Amino acid sequence: MSLFLRDYLNVVWFGLAAVLVAGLLLGLAAAVRPSNPTREKLIAYESGVNPVGMGWSQSQVRYYVFALLFVIFDVEAVFIFPWAASIERYGAFGLITMLAFIILLLDGLVYAWKRGLLRWV
Amino acid sequence: MITALLAQAWQAPTIDWHAIAPELVLVAGINLVLFIDLWLDESKKWAMATLSGMVLLGAFVPVVTLAVVGGDVRDAIFDGRYMIDEYALVLKGLFLLVGYVVVLMSQTELEEGGYYQGEFYVLLLVSVLGMVMMASSRDLLSVFVALELLSIPAYMMAAWRKRDPKSNEAGVKYYLLGVFASGVLLYGMSLLYGTTGTTKLTEIGAALAIGDPSVMQVLAVVLVITGFAFKISAVPFHTWAPDTYQGAPTPVTAFLSVASKAAGFTALLTVLYLGLYGATGVHEPYIWVLAALTMTIGNVVALRQTNIVRMLAYSSVSQGGFILMPLAVMATDAAESALRAVVIYLLIYAFSNLGAFCVIMAVARKTRSGEISSFGGLMGYAPGLGVLMTVFLASLAGIPPLGIWIAKLQSFRALIDAGSTAAYALAVIAAVNTVIAAAYYMRVLRQIWMAPAPDGDTSPVVVPPPIRLALAITAGGTVVLGILPGLVLRFADLPDLTGALGF
Repeated sequence: MSLFLRDYLNVVWFGLAAVLVAGLLLGLAAAVRPSNPTREKLIAYESGVNPVGMGWSQSQVRYYVFALLFVIFDVEAVFIFPWAASIERYGAFGLITMLAFIILLLDGLVYAWKRGLLRWV
Repeated sequence: MITALLAQAWQAPTIDWHAIAPELVLVAGINLVLFIDLWLDESKKWAMATLSGMVLLGAFVPVVTLAVVGGDVRDAIFDGRYMIDEYALVLKGLFLLVGYVVVLMSQTELEEGGYYQGEFYVLLLVSVLGMVMMASSRDLLSVFVALELLSIPAYMMAAWRKRDPKSNEAGVKYYLLGVFASGVLLYGMSLLYGTTGTTKLTEIGAALAIGDPSVMQVLAVVLVITGFAFKISAVPFHTWAPDTYQGAPTPVTAFLSVASKAAGFTALLTVLYLGLYGATGVHEPYIWVLAALTMTIGNVVALRQTNIVRMLAYSSVSQGGFILMPLAVMATDAAESALRAVVIYLLIYAFSNLGAFCVIMAVARKTRSGEISSFGGLMGYAPGLGVLMTVFLASLAGIPPLGIWIAKLQSFRALIDAGSTAAYALAVIAAVNTVIAAAYYMRVLRQIWMAPAPDGDTSPVVVPPPIRLALAITAGGTVVLGILPGLVLRFADLPDLTGALGF
């Protein structure tokens, strides 16, 4: 068998293994578990309290905007902590770099503020 | 290991400001456009297009000065992970110019459609910034960051016609498949990093060149190429392209089919030539199959299309096959001519394809239709547009002396240089495809030259000034590069990409 075919046989084995593992896990679970659906089992679980309303509920789209804004501060924190841990090491260069980074990141916040997204109507 | 690292004295990296000036101008410009748009009155929004155009031209200036200054002093910055060589500069120039033409095309489209304008140009500039970075990236991480930076704004731009379900479909399909492709690509990259212990492309290349690639490395190479194949819409990973191209606003379609695709090819070129040259036995057959499938299936499906944008979408898929073709022989003596063929094809294809989209936009402003039949009788009432469309489509079909013939010639030459049976077989497939492609381009030309106007409406087409300028740039590029190919042929020599790396 040529080298080329052996190389690609590896790729085929890999793909087969991926399908097999996923199939095995799902199949095994389906084969072993008893299937006995009752009405109680099918309703949405709410910490033991009787569920209120439908299982399909809507939430305010505004939370989405706040989730996005959260990312700004989250990313900021991820990069600022390691930098702050050794702030003397990086000196003036580090300070200016971090300021540039924060200003670019705050663009998003200024944009949201100016477009009125921070107001809860 | 961390304590050893911390014990070392830390030095601020020396930054060559001139070398990264194009990126800096773009970053400053993005902020400028964003903030001016926030405080600008609704009636003055048209100024955003002019401003974005000026930012792109402003970023072009340092690219030119860098090319004039030349020399090796600025080649390697950031430890050789970011290179400003001639190869990078040519592609940066291409991306900025394409961005400028797309701004020209967008201006009237956005104004008349009543879409958000400021945000659109900000996203466009960010996407161009990602492409400009891509041209210089020589590290897996910066390649990936640049790829995401250019893709994510494009997902939103594809869905810019907010009230049109087709445009939403375009955005969602592009987004889902793009993210999936990123995942596959990242998986491959992580395996490459895991087996070679470095993310720098030249070091990966050196590590792969020793002995036969291991199982993990084979898998990594296949996954990385598959990830890029989505980006360049190679068959069988092209399924998003026609729907996205048809649904997205026409300037965005032009941008995706030219700039986004060129950026994907740039990444593929850099990764193949610097990182994976040790594994040519693995990726060459794969790319051979991809190229053959892409040009054939793209062409055959394009034959049946009645919508002109959809037809051009499939045609751009098949052109991608032609661009991919020389890469299937990059291990042999043809390495250099293959690289040159790809870069030249990208440069010339950009002009012709953008031009065709410009004409479609101009005509659709009057006919309000995307059907090929709506081009009937164009020669009668708008001879200028008719001649230009003829030029662009003839160039795409590869008829000398217009643009793409020289690019196709280079691609075939690379295959002949390689001289192997596989290369000759691919050349034959490509030759057959060139003939098939001519058929559907000629079908549009027959409508333009011979058919009568569909509803007898022969009032002249009004072409707004920005589109006129875009048409002039693209037509000029198509004709001049076809007649004087020497202008671009000297670019993109192999030593420019690999020589300055010092391995």
